[in-house]
Amino acid sequence: MSVAGFKETLKDAVRQMSFRTSLDNLKKQGVQQVNVLGIDRIIALIEAAVHRSLKSRLVGVEREAVADATKAEFLRLLRTNEDLQRQKTEIERQKELVEEEVDQLRRDLSAQQRALELKLEEGALAMATRYEGENAAIAAKVRDVLRALAATGGASIVDAEERVMALVMDIVTVERQSADEARKALHDREVGTLQRRIKKLNESLDQTEKRLQTVAAMKSLDGGISSIYREVQGVDPADTQAGKKKELMAEIFKANLRLQKKA
Amino acid sequence: MSETKQTPEAPKKDHGVLYIGMDLGTSRTSVSASNGVRETVYSMVGYPKDVVSMKLLKKDVLFGKEALDKRLSLKLYKPLEKGVLKYTGDAAKDAEAKANLKAAQDLIGEAIRLARPRKDELIYCVIGAPAEASVKNREAIIEAARAHVDSVMLCSEPFSVAYGLDWLEDVLVIDIGAGTTDLCRMHGTMPEETDQVMFDIAGDAVDEELARRIAETCPGAQFTIHMVKEIKERYGFVGDPSERCIVELPVDGKPTPFDLTEQIRGACAILIDPILKGIHKLIASFDPQFQTKLKNRVLLAGGGSMVKGLDTAVEKAMKERLGGGKVIRIEEPVYGGANGALKIAHDMPADFWEQLK
Repeated sequence: MSVAGFKETLKDAVRQMSFRTSLDNLKKQGVQQVNVLGIDRIIALIEAAVHRSLKSRLVGVEREAVADATKAEFLRLLRTNEDLQRQKTEIERQKELVEEEVDQLRRDLSAQQRALELKLEEGALAMATRYEGENAAIAAKVRDVLRALAATGGASIVDAEERVMALVMDIVTVERQSADEARKALHDREVGTLQRRIKKLNESLDQTEKRLQTVAAMKSLDGGISSIYREVQGVDPADTQAGKKKELMAEIFKANLRLQKKA
Repeated sequence: MSETKQTPEAPKKDHGVLYIGMDLGTSRTSVSASNGVRETVYSMVGYPKDVVSMKLLKKDVLFGKEALDKRLSLKLYKPLEKGVLKYTGDAAKDAEAKANLKAAQDLIGEAIRLARPRKDELIYCVIGAPAEASVKNREAIIEAARAHVDSVMLCSEPFSVAYGLDWLEDVLVIDIGAGTTDLCRMHGTMPEETDQVMFDIAGDAVDEELARRIAETCPGAQFTIHMVKEIKERYGFVGDPSERCIVELPVDGKPTPFDLTEQIRGACAILIDPILKGIHKLIASFDPQFQTKLKNRVLLAGGGSMVKGLDTAVEKAMKERLGGGKVIRIEEPVYGGANGALKIAHDMPADFWEQLK
């Protein structure tokens, strides 16, 4: 990568890492005055700082190697950031798809439940109507038989009626039982099918909702931002107050050791 | 995180070291981290009151401004009071104390989450705790933080402010928080008890005073302590006003403008006298040879230092009572403590961190 290209990349990175805020917000945070520093100046300062640091500590080939390695690391970090961004977009897309799927399943489930309710109501009504019609037809037939018996004379009408009715009702009961069984079997099949469909839809809905939760959790996962330090630092030996600071660090540590070992 | 927690599922912490400095305050909790993140959140934690509100809010716990805005649906906790946790150490017996302790733990967790740490980095955190916090309090803070970081230390808040600015000698720090005002004199070593003064006339006391004055002088005005706090944060001043403080408050449901200039000036001025007494005490008991130097290096920090004109007013009062002095307001009152704690974290040697893991 050319120096100009690298500068542009560095500029983009600084822009990405910066954030916008209003003057009111800054005031709320207690900032009364701000020092404005242009982005070109920031880039120049970073470059100058890096070069000065390298120049003071390294020489020749070693310096070039460190500079190249630093550029490579910087670009790697940028690429990691871009990958994370892509992953985030993909997760968001997955979440939208799953949400659509859940909505569709909910609509299907609701339609199937309505169909089942309708079927059950229709079944009950049809059965009641059919029984009324059959009973009337049987009664008419019995009346016809009795009238025929009366016309012939001989046996008492009551006896004849009882006999005929018992006979007819036996036949009717048997017929009715077999018809009921047939109808019930058919009805059970329909209800069973609908209930299975509903169960399947419920299971599917559960699974999709779980997937949605997983995707939602993934979306909220934050990869975090890298620290600028790869190793533990400590007081800078070049600091003019290094000795004093080390003593203070030791005192803070001792106080915390007492507290935490006790805790 | 102790080593025992390094299960096979735990990410390998080989990417780097993230330092976090935290200022755990009564009103705000601020964090500064070595990845460039700086965040602040109101020290408020809210839990949904019932199943309905939980379904509506879609969260188990809310923090800061969000919790404040949704407070009608929440059981709201301010886990710190007068600079320390509202936790007496007997949480097992007292349900309210237990709830406050949990809120404090959740708040510390949220503050660390706001620093956006990576899973594969070691997290070392320094928390600025009030100088007067009890041992039980400190233990509770440590326990709460340990769940989220690899190693944690506490340090005195005013000390961290001074350390952050590299002012380690002959400086007097005044940290005006919401619950307490802490004064601490630095003389190159860790400050001792005699180097510190603390009193509870601070931001919350100003809010209460302002609320009292508004109630007395603005008949019919309706307001809450949160509204009063916002008014103070926007207009708070002492001395001469740069503009009239015209604030709209509802009267019988109708927004009505009130001129609160005098009320705000009077309420904010209650900070000056106790601060002067504290300065006087710390300077008078200091080595006479260095008293003048100390008087000329007074640092004003904390959210309360954002009251306009307070530095000038304290300076003026010092001239009258102590014959002079120089007060410097730090550039970032909200992050001063967190920045200092971050610097301490940075300067702490590796083996100290290791021993506290």
